[in-house]
Amino acid sequence: MKAVGLGAAALAVPGLVAGCSSASSGGPTKIVFEETKPEVVPYFSNLAAKFNASQSQVVVNHDSISSLIAEFVRGDPPDIDCDNYNLTTSIFVARGVLANLASLPQAKTIDPNIQALVTQYASFQGETSVLPYSIAAEGVIYNVDLFDKVGVSAVPTTWTEFLTVAEKFKSAGITPIYQTYGDTWTTQQGLFDYTVGGMIDVAAFYQQLAREGTNLGPNSAVSFEKDFTAPCQKMLSLAPYFNDNAIAKYYANGNTAFAAGQAGMYMQGPWAVGEILAINPKLKMGTFALPTTDDASQTKCRVNLDLAIWLPRSQAPAQRTAAIQFLDYLMQPNVMNAYNQANLAFSPLKNAPPQTSPIVAGLQKYVSSGRFYQGPGTYVPLTIPVGNFIQEMMLTGNVSGFTSSMDGAFQRLAIRTSA
Amino acid sequence: MTATALPSQRTETAARSRRGALGKVKKLFFPVAPAYLFMVIPAIVLFTFFIIYPTIQGMFWSLTNYVGYGTWHFVGLANYKAAFSDPTIRDSYGFTLLFAVVACVVTNAVAMALALALNAKIKWRTGLRTVFFMPMVISGLVISYVFTFILSTSVPIIASAIHFAPLESSILANQHTAWLGVVFVASWVAIPGAIIIFLAGLVSIPTEVYEAASIDGANAWKKFQRMTFPLLFPFFVINTILTFKGFLNVYDVVVGLTNGGPGTATTSVAMEIFSGFFNGDYAYQMANAVIFFVITMFFAVFQLGVMRRRGGVL
Repeated sequence: MKAVGLGAAALAVPGLVAGCSSASSGGPTKIVFEETKPEVVPYFSNLAAKFNASQSQVVVNHDSISSLIAEFVRGDPPDIDCDNYNLTTSIFVARGVLANLASLPQAKTIDPNIQALVTQYASFQGETSVLPYSIAAEGVIYNVDLFDKVGVSAVPTTWTEFLTVAEKFKSAGITPIYQTYGDTWTTQQGLFDYTVGGMIDVAAFYQQLAREGTNLGPNSAVSFEKDFTAPCQKMLSLAPYFNDNAIAKYYANGNTAFAAGQAGMYMQGPWAVGEILAINPKLKMGTFALPTTDDASQTKCRVNLDLAIWLPRSQAPAQRTAAIQFLDYLMQPNVMNAYNQANLAFSPLKNAPPQTSPIVAGLQKYVSSGRFYQGPGTYVPLTIPVGNFIQEMMLTGNVSGFTSSMDGAFQRLAIRTSA
Repeated sequence: MTATALPSQRTETAARSRRGALGKVKKLFFPVAPAYLFMVIPAIVLFTFFIIYPTIQGMFWSLTNYVGYGTWHFVGLANYKAAFSDPTIRDSYGFTLLFAVVACVVTNAVAMALALALNAKIKWRTGLRTVFFMPMVISGLVISYVFTFILSTSVPIIASAIHFAPLESSILANQHTAWLGVVFVASWVAIPGAIIIFLAGLVSIPTEVYEAASIDGANAWKKFQRMTFPLLFPFFVINTILTFKGFLNVYDVVVGLTNGGPGTATTSVAMEIFSGFFNGDYAYQMANAVIFFVITMFFAVFQLGVMRRRGGVL
């Protein structure tokens, strides 16, 4: 795969500076543990301190600010990392710079449905490059008291029931669903991912799309035009149930409005829960997966690999051993399950205890049974401004404009990535 | 010329042959006097290492699918082909060129007017000059954050108080007007530098020519049109080249003001190129950078040509 020529070798030199190896000559081995999710930095600093106190061979230094891409370019990645796994970080997997963890005993403790989420973005020669640590599941957040007020006793399980709930709110003079088109990510991760993700097999669609490559067009087996038109139209059909002037509303406005009980439902992930509770600590909330068909057994929920652990491929033996020792500590079932319980997330371990928080417990059955998908928007490389395309579609109602923009962008991407 | 040069050459050759073999060795390794080499070689080494080497490296990676680390392979000219048909890249060139031309005109016109004013016999001339140079020592990013607040908070409040409709909502939040805000702030940042060069030019014009013109009965406009501007022309050319080149590379002001938005309306070429580093599109944006380099070279050569034709001797 790697082209090696005289010129290439000479030019590639700056990228090959080896990582710092403070190989132990007595004393403990020092390793860098990187974890940058802002909300849980103190949680992991605390875990690292506990680990450091529990033994004397390894000293873990928690780095919560560095940029991984810059570190890889410098040839100086952390010894162990636990961060969000998404399409951008999956490039580390695709380019083979992560260690193969298949032989670790922990690799066998992960639910295979959840491990599959890693390879849906990228894989390298069949290796196990990344171990899931925490799954965030997302659905429609609802105001429990307002559901009681308008007379909804159970969460909707079919599309028809969902529309009935929305109608009840509308006739009661309460905004059924709060939308914020102001920032592009909110509509993309909520409304768009839920409706499209609920109606298609997301992973299979993108896999086939990649196979189409440069042939993507009106005659290909899959395309945004063929597969996304109906879901997008369904999404736009919900517009009468949204608040007015959604384009001038931003994430913070949405949280404030929902916390103040101005709307019955809100399409956001568990990250919004903390913000909402900060405004109104007494608000009672629950979450249900958006049903997009009238067959309740078809309903799925959106998930993402909120945290996942990996080690770099090139690493001094002492650092590798020490990093695995810390991985053993982090991935003990009680440590892992406690983290997920405390952070409104789901543990990726087989036979993990169910999430008990009533706010997100409604999604447990989907996570346990593998009825989930990674958002269709998350498979789109950052070079394609899918959020802006969705924003434009929400404002103009032009679905074919959206699908042709997406097909064109993916085809151009295929032209240069297939060469 | 040739006639006078010949005898001296002959003497030199004779002297060299007398010095013998040592002279030949010296000539081989030091074709010019060593003192010059001490000055030139460090500059060439630094320029080669920090400018030429990375440029060639970037050109090399633009022919691959490299992301900055890990495995890669050659893709030929695929990155270039894709870049030419990419609407995002095309739009960034459209914005950058429009912005650079307008900002260049605004900066030079305002800077020349201010330089003339600051060169006139006015009270507090030195103090005023200091005040006008101040934007130069403040970071562009800081200035643009301050102006983001002014343009999106203060200006709309004032505008609605005096019922001036066009500015009642932030111009930075509108896809069609955001670029005007960028032009305004970028020019504000660049004007002091241009003023300094114009002032240097104005000082170099001898006062006698103005006295002579006054005796001939020239008014202020005639003096500017027939004397100041032609004598200032070389300075005008160098200012145009410097500011235009600076505006083509606009980055920090846009990042601070709009971060390329709304949508992608004010995304500059430099921002687009830098985005490749974090989007896993390193090689693709390197191809974009090479295209940008060729375009910038074209402008530079064109401007130098104009300067030579008009007799600028800088």
